[in-house]
Amino acid sequence: MTVLEAMERANLKETTLAIAWIKDAIHQIQSSTKEKIKSSKQDIIKSVDSDDNVYILPADMISLNNVSIKDTSDSKYKKIRRLTHQPEYLIEDSSP
Amino acid sequence: MSVNVSREWYYFLRGREILLYKLLGGSSTERVTQSGVFSTRSHELMYPNEDIEDGLRVEYTALNEPFVTEALESTTSKTSGITIAFVDGGVSSDTITDTASGFNFTDGDKIRVQGSTSNDGDYTLSGTANTGTLTVATGTFTAETAGERITITQIPKEVASPDETSHINLNKMLSLAVVDYVKAMKADRNGELDKKEYYMKEFYSKLGDNESNIRKISMSFPSSPFAVR
Repeated sequence: MTVLEAMERANLKETTLAIAWIKDAIHQIQSSTKEKIKSSKQDIIKSVDSDDNVYILPADMISLNNVSIKDTSDSKYKKIRRLTHQPEYLIEDSSP
Repeated sequence: MSVNVSREWYYFLRGREILLYKLLGGSSTERVTQSGVFSTRSHELMYPNEDIEDGLRVEYTALNEPFVTEALESTTSKTSGITIAFVDGGVSSDTITDTASGFNFTDGDKIRVQGSTSNDGDYTLSGTANTGTLTVATGTFTAETAGERITITQIPKEVASPDETSHINLNKMLSLAVVDYVKAMKADRNGELDKKEYYMKEFYSKLGDNESNIRKISMSFPSSPFAVR
């Protein structure tokens, strides 16, 4: 369906506004369903600092579907589980 | 080496960030000094203790290519076979050849290659396309002889600056849902809240219909002896 057809069906004359509302509608669809899935990959780094386990989610993400880690023994990505609570810091590990 | 990742790795969501943790014990016995020891559900966790290239994969929904050049229903061209080869043209354009002459694409189409050894990906055709040869930009392909079963599928081509002639990158049912959404927004602008509610209900109804169209499940229930038949 073209933008023009959508505008005529909705009896709307402003093209820019129609395009903005169509984008809003697609955003809503992507938020409620999994119509189109996208994926992104990042390098995992060996932690040497206290914030080295922090990775930024994709800036264009609407809803998260799953997170997986590459199993280097067979080069396959495997889903990992989500922690519902952030782990509590117990002690400084002075003698690893 | 990361093994048993599905059992030994965990993530925690903190706003726009994802925090990775690894189970201490199991296949990992070393501790990362800087991370200290963390505890959750009687398990000890630590920060990732190895470098893994492209190790974290996130699957998500996004506002991905909302407008395309042609209707989704018309992007149906597809070719599959073991007679497809990739030619590195050097300084000239690279090509895909099919000795069975099975291509049915046109110039400017966007295609997705699957099944090749080293040329899987999305490409845009440039130059004249015919049944035996597809042309793409120079330096795109690694030379590959025929033999593998390769599938080439036409995919929608994005419009970066949409106008009235652009197509919504959704199927017919979801496009109709989008029309309902636009009607709802228009009613909202006019202060007609009852109409807005009505069209939003229609919008979500069509989303539900679209979902059930791809998840056909038949359920049967035993009828009770007192059921009206």
